[in-house]
Amino acid sequence: MKRLTLLIVSALTLLVLLPEPSQAIPALARKYGFNCNMCHTSFTKLNDYGQRFRDNGYQQPGQEGLEKTVFETFPPISLRTSTGLMIMHEPDSKSTTSGFHLNGLDLLAAGVMHKNISFLMIYTPRIDEPRAGYASVGSMDPSQPGALESANLVFSNLVQDVLSLRVGRFEPGYQAISSKRSYYLLQPYEVYEFSTPGNNFVFADNQIGIEATGHFREGIKYAAGIVNGSGANPDNNNAKDLYANVSKTFGRGEGQSSGQRVGAFGYLGWVPTSLMVPFSGATGDGDGKINKSFYRIGGHASLNYNTFNLQALFMYGSDDKAIGPVRAVSQGKYHFTGGFGRLDWAALPNNRMVASAMFNWITPPDFDKSSRVRAISTLVRYYLGDWTAVNVALHGEYTYRETGYTTIAKQHQFAALLDFDF
Amino acid sequence: MQRSLFFLVILGSALLVALAWAENPQVPITESGVVAHGPVRVGNLPPVIAPADNPQTSAKILLGKKVYFDTRLSKDNTVSCATCHDPSKGWSDSGPTSKGINSQMGGRRSPPVVNAAHSRLQFWDGRAPTLEEQAKGPIQNPIEMGNTHDAMLRTLNDIPGYVTEFKSVFGTSPITVDQVAQAIAAFERTVVTTDSPFDRFVQGDVSALTPLEKQGLEIFNGKGHCSACHWGGQLSDGRFHNLGVEPIEPGKPDEGRRAVTKSERDFGAFKTPTIRDVAARAPYLHTGKEQTLEDVVRLYNRGGGPEDANLDPMMLPLGLSETEIKALVAFMTRAMTSTNPEVADVKPIPAAELPK
Repeated sequence: MKRLTLLIVSALTLLVLLPEPSQAIPALARKYGFNCNMCHTSFTKLNDYGQRFRDNGYQQPGQEGLEKTVFETFPPISLRTSTGLMIMHEPDSKSTTSGFHLNGLDLLAAGVMHKNISFLMIYTPRIDEPRAGYASVGSMDPSQPGALESANLVFSNLVQDVLSLRVGRFEPGYQAISSKRSYYLLQPYEVYEFSTPGNNFVFADNQIGIEATGHFREGIKYAAGIVNGSGANPDNNNAKDLYANVSKTFGRGEGQSSGQRVGAFGYLGWVPTSLMVPFSGATGDGDGKINKSFYRIGGHASLNYNTFNLQALFMYGSDDKAIGPVRAVSQGKYHFTGGFGRLDWAALPNNRMVASAMFNWITPPDFDKSSRVRAISTLVRYYLGDWTAVNVALHGEYTYRETGYTTIAKQHQFAALLDFDF
Repeated sequence: MQRSLFFLVILGSALLVALAWAENPQVPITESGVVAHGPVRVGNLPPVIAPADNPQTSAKILLGKKVYFDTRLSKDNTVSCATCHDPSKGWSDSGPTSKGINSQMGGRRSPPVVNAAHSRLQFWDGRAPTLEEQAKGPIQNPIEMGNTHDAMLRTLNDIPGYVTEFKSVFGTSPITVDQVAQAIAAFERTVVTTDSPFDRFVQGDVSALTPLEKQGLEIFNGKGHCSACHWGGQLSDGRFHNLGVEPIEPGKPDEGRRAVTKSERDFGAFKTPTIRDVAARAPYLHTGKEQTLEDVVRLYNRGGGPEDANLDPMMLPLGLSETEIKALVAFMTRAMTSTNPEVADVKPIPAAELPK
């Protein structure tokens, strides 16, 4: 019985850790008649052109106002999902769990409404019905909750190239290396998903607020924003979080598929240590009290050589001692470091195949060493399609993951999936 | 029942949107004259539409052809339209830039006449809004035909054969500049190529392209970013881009489209040429400095030329491999070369057969 519980919990932990479905917007490719690889090195990872296209509010760079709006095209709807076999093996307990899964579903819509005014909507419906019984597991059910993952308007080029505004729920610019457009379907960026005790801020979450972005000819880009911080709607406190990300690309390109990009980011947030119950605001927002601060800072780089791309991110995080459970005086603030390094290689004509290797780590403070994570991952994707689209990926992914310090839990995770969108 | 109703409403709405879109095919044009509704997928060319004030007639087309090949339009009777827009050289010339009267070299490569009927704007900088307006330009350009419109008209009006033919076509005499331009434009509207292996492929003949060419098409429309600008039936957006190309004379940059719009954003920008029949008209770019299609692809693969000032934001290094470059060149070479006999068989009209 104990072993069965362990198996179930292990399997569900794996599923809960799955990153949210990534973004690729075939509706835009359809609008222009482009192959996916116009904007993606291979879907879902943006190349330089795709990055500029996104930064420019889903308009061709330099061609604002010269394309069809959503009122002149077919409804710009896209779907994306992946399905296949997922296996996890834990050598210590000699347990193996496996199952065929639908790995999330994205309903995407994006387009230009007027010159320099565009939108993005992503809805992820529940996909856990019908499901097998998971008695007494409760909240660990392998479900994708229905959510409006993104819903934002982009006001581009308020000052040509230098100032655009994104308003609504969006992927915040402090995620210097996008988790939404990672090739990996099984393995997230661990440090993006890391949640410190008592703090519901998760770096990977989309946020609600306002973000300013811009770029300069010298290859310098910035993003700065003010957001709820909880990623939630309604929010649980009145304090707003702030962030900024600045990067510089050397050479031509955006650092996605050419040029060499380095940058730094910082996030300053506040979380309440006391909540009003029930929520009292007219819109459901709470006025959580005794807000304590936390911050995340770090650096990132994206280096390119031919079709090799090395991306790395380092993060240092610190939470006020008052956040989370009561700790001994000697334990002080909650400090941690983490990051990842990922090497991608695009091969075959039109990048029909990609291979990647990634290392993730999280080093928590000594008093929380059980949260330590080390993970090594690799994947291969081969794309099917023709000159109009290469939108079906045969996806094989493997991760070896260790958690803990004195007692290390080891996991082997494997997935063979079909990842497709249209 | 409710669910069925919901889906019916959704389907009906989608159908209405689709119908509204399909029945509204007009192509908006911006103030600067470029097509506003693109990009659209690469594909077949639509039929040429002649302007209402210059309808196509067989007699006018034949007259235009004669004028096109007639060197008497130039000041010293040495240069015709076909001198720089030679059918045997892809309706361009051997470059790098065009040679006018007295062996003067022009500042830019001769743009091809083939499929120019589908261009919204003419010349590398788009300064002429129609083929008719374009046809008037070189006649009085001092380093092209070196003539004046008045002198050219005196010449033509002194040729009885032309006077008769122009009167027959246009119903008036003497010959006017507008009539000359209209006749040339009418002929140029027949220089349209619609039957290449690529055209047959997109019409459903999957054997029209070799595997390498299919690979090239995929790269053209994907990783190569070619169709970001070379789109639609014309495989050109008809817009203007700065590729960072070195000027012909070091230190003397060609301002390109800025001369027309006076906008700094257009500095060094030139019109996107069509890819159709591109293999027949080396050398390439407005400078004629790139000798082969492979050279051009390599330029793009580097993210454009060395001039950074006002480089088009769509110019980015591509990361193409040698295999991909080869596939791309193969696609542009044979697959984009047309076999339209009415265009391929156009031969210069010998001087002896021109009106006297």
